[in-house]
Amino acid sequence: MFKRTGIVIAFLCAWAGAASAEPKTNMLHQWASGSDAEAIAKLGEMFTAAGGKWEQTSIAGHTANTLAKLRANVVAGDAPPAVQLKGPEIAEWNATGMTANLDELAAKEGWDKVVAPELLPVMKPAGKWVAAPMNIHRVNWLWASPKAMKAAGITELPKTWAEFNAACDKAVAAKLVCIAHYSRDWTDATTFEVVVYGQNLDLFRKAFVEGNTEAMRSPGMVKAFEQYRQMVGKYMDPAIASRDYPTAVSMLSKGEAVFFITGDWNIGVMTRSGMKQGDDYVCGQAPTDWGKPGFILNSDSVVFFKQKDPDYVAGQQLLAHLILSPAFQTIFNKAKGSIPARLDIDLADFNPCQQMAQKALQASIKEGTLVRTMAHNMTVLQKYRGAILEVVTQYTNNPKTTPKQAAEQMADTVEAQK
Amino acid sequence: MTASAVAAPLDAQARIAARSHLANRAFIYTFLALFAVLYLLPLFVVIANSFRPLPEITQYGLISLPQSISFEAWADAWSTHCVAGTCAGVRRNFYNSLLMTIPATIISTVLGALNGYILSKWRFRGSQTLFACMTLGVFLPGQIALLPWAYVLGKLGLTNSVYGLVLIHVVQGLAFTTLFCRNYYVNIPDDLIKAARIDGAGFWRIFRRIILPLSPPILIVTVIWQFTGIWNEYLFGTVFTSGREQPITAALVALATSGQTARHFDVASSAVLIAALPPLLIYFLGGKYFVRGLTQGAIK
Amino acid sequence: MTADVSAAPGRPWRERLAAWAPVLILAPSLGASMIYVFGFTLWTCWISVSSSTLLPQYDFVGFNNYVDLWNHQRWKIAYGNLLSYSVGYVLVSMALGLALAIAIDQRIRAESGWRTIFLYPLAVSFVVTGTVWSWLYSPDAGIEFLVRRLGWTDFDFRLTTHRETALYAIIATGIWHSSGFAMALFLAGLRSIDTDILKAAAIDGASPARIYRRVILPQLAPIFVAVAVVLLQFAIKTFDLAVALTGGGPGISTTFPAMFVYDFMFQRGQIAIGAAGAITILAALAIVLVPYALWSTWRARREAAQ
Repeated sequence: MFKRTGIVIAFLCAWAGAASAEPKTNMLHQWASGSDAEAIAKLGEMFTAAGGKWEQTSIAGHTANTLAKLRANVVAGDAPPAVQLKGPEIAEWNATGMTANLDELAAKEGWDKVVAPELLPVMKPAGKWVAAPMNIHRVNWLWASPKAMKAAGITELPKTWAEFNAACDKAVAAKLVCIAHYSRDWTDATTFEVVVYGQNLDLFRKAFVEGNTEAMRSPGMVKAFEQYRQMVGKYMDPAIASRDYPTAVSMLSKGEAVFFITGDWNIGVMTRSGMKQGDDYVCGQAPTDWGKPGFILNSDSVVFFKQKDPDYVAGQQLLAHLILSPAFQTIFNKAKGSIPARLDIDLADFNPCQQMAQKALQASIKEGTLVRTMAHNMTVLQKYRGAILEVVTQYTNNPKTTPKQAAEQMADTVEAQK
Repeated sequence: MTASAVAAPLDAQARIAARSHLANRAFIYTFLALFAVLYLLPLFVVIANSFRPLPEITQYGLISLPQSISFEAWADAWSTHCVAGTCAGVRRNFYNSLLMTIPATIISTVLGALNGYILSKWRFRGSQTLFACMTLGVFLPGQIALLPWAYVLGKLGLTNSVYGLVLIHVVQGLAFTTLFCRNYYVNIPDDLIKAARIDGAGFWRIFRRIILPLSPPILIVTVIWQFTGIWNEYLFGTVFTSGREQPITAALVALATSGQTARHFDVASSAVLIAALPPLLIYFLGGKYFVRGLTQGAIK
Repeated sequence: MTADVSAAPGRPWRERLAAWAPVLILAPSLGASMIYVFGFTLWTCWISVSSSTLLPQYDFVGFNNYVDLWNHQRWKIAYGNLLSYSVGYVLVSMALGLALAIAIDQRIRAESGWRTIFLYPLAVSFVVTGTVWSWLYSPDAGIEFLVRRLGWTDFDFRLTTHRETALYAIIATGIWHSSGFAMALFLAGLRSIDTDILKAAAIDGASPARIYRRVILPQLAPIFVAVAVVLLQFAIKTFDLAVALTGGGPGISTTFPAMFVYDFMFQRGQIAIGAAGAITILAALAIVLVPYALWSTWRARREAAQ
């Protein structure tokens, strides 16, 4: 703790000496409510404690609305000093030449050594540090309600998709909803990519990381759509199109539904609604047919745009420094449900599921099964991702589309964007 | 009209006619009442639910008779509810809407009246064409103007501010107000103007003495239409401002699409009423003139 | 009447200024309008034939973006929805408006009260309308919940949760919003019909239905057209209502062209395709409005000549 304060003080002195700018910032992000907003508020507190002037612009809705606001601001000549951006967007905006360079700070603090290696190509799209990673989320989680499991006679979390289907059949027989779900384009895509990943790692890499349309037409993808159709048609309930997130979570806590497939941001949401790990929910890796530890990675990061005002420039350096600091990484990730982007943080008093995530990350790196998420915009460009998401969500809500048709549609729409 | 036969003489045919007249009346009133219920239902739901505590709403649904009264939702929506990051209710957004709508309405109406006066009474070569071009602005879809306005507002330094929205609504409203006023002033006889000019009156005097006294009907319609249209506008408010600078329609959407927290129907209902009251009030007070002007404007 | 701008020598400066007043006052409005109407449209046109993605690029790639646009599945769904919505919304609003107007015209009591009730939705924004109706359509708190609570436990009213029916929810809500407007105009038209003709027809023994068909409705023809045009251009610009009611869902089944444009221009970083969509919306509006403008000018000239 003293070390951190010392670094901050030394930092500020250096800056005070070099240029008497007062660091200020205005961060544009999508974490407008709930546990996410609390987590970002902590960043604000740290920024203010370090002597900076903190302002934020939080946009309600999902990432798309934040991107819309970013574009409006950039066209107006008013690029934000800091904005939450991720995945291929970082590279795209970097290519416009408007992003600020963090190499100096990175070298001083040794980021290359402590940040998870899978994140480096995303944060350094052209070899230079452009973004500061805040966390690592794991997407391929299976959450379960112990109450509902007991009622359905399911004794342990299923490990393969065959076991999962069997467990769900038991749940349906016990008149429970097997999978709690609420249909949005990104939630449908999350569940679907978990299915694809669990069935066929190679297919995931080719179709969702590289965007190969032949892979999208392949029998493997059709098989994934078949499994997904069974899940939507038999194991979810019809009201998914009009449900919202908190109601889906409450289905687990009330024991009305057995499973929930989503990432570990769910930990923050469940904790905030009063659920306790072990009593009200348990966690496990989402089913995989190839029997090894797996990890679909999602990471939130902050990108800085070049600014003329020296106060904003100073604020950017301070913000980047704070984001990568062990103190922030610990506080932020505890609240958000994810694990730190730095590999050298001790997770002793984190949620047991988060500790599992860290172990899974290390194991998955060793086994070579680590991938980045497509549904949460870490792999293919937004125009391809948008096309894929549209096909998946249409498929979810239209029982008449066959798996083969869906696979063809996916390949066709992605091709049309090329 | 023809069915409303008058006094009922005592012969059989008239009795039948009277009975069918009664049946007609019953049918008409039932038809109207049925649709009136459908039209009033949302209003009733929103008003009732803004006074009910949330647990009661969750248990009994939105469309049910209130069983207990609570004023908390109003205070919550006004000053403490969390909307997109800040927890200060929609009070600031309401003031933003006032700050945006009132100036924009006044300026666009004044300019519209002047423009309409000029284009109808002080015609010059090409004024017809220019008028037609200006009128096109009424029908331009908002999406065409989004990126250009972003650029213009940036250059003028009016990003993320209510004043930028005022500018947008004035420029976009000009087309409509000019159209309405000009079509109205065209009906003022030219002879009046000619006589005044012979008497030595100039541009401003004619406007003050002749045009303005005749203008109240069209000005009321224009003001009501502009106020309602600008207050209720959503797209530009949500793209060009954020957070505390947003007008209330955009804040309402941000409040209603909560994301991670359960839907607060009570607070949202209060917020809906706060957002909808000003235009509704203006409509209830000035609706008569509004309809009159609407029919005059559309039946050209 | 022309503006007298001759600057005769000796005229006080104030008079000269007043002479120039019309031009001075009109100029800024005219200038701003020209930039707004033509400048913005031309700029969007240029972007639509460029290769802009994240930010505007000022190059030329021909009409590729339009080809891509019309091949795009989401655009096809969008304009398909627009066609269905336009037909349903315009026709039913007009029919309902006419029915309400005829009913109110029958010398009933509390006429202005009825009129106020049916017209007030017009003062409410589409956003508020969409939000409140989305609550009414939701199965866990709205109409279905009410009916189930009253006893029909199997009652199903889930328009907005199924992709086939979600569009009908939007159409119905649009009709709720705008049929009052149609009613007001039809009522004014009914009131302006010459009662002598009606009396003559009644004396001739024509039934009420016949009178409506042969005498009244034909006289309302111009109003039919005016209402249809206004409603149609509301329909083409549909954005707020759909966003507030369904957000474009379930899936993308209730997406509209205006939402497509916003999405591609702003959220997806494909400005050129978004601009192509915007220009297409403009073309659709022109197809509706230009013939109407020409027709009403022709009518006005014909009436003036008579």
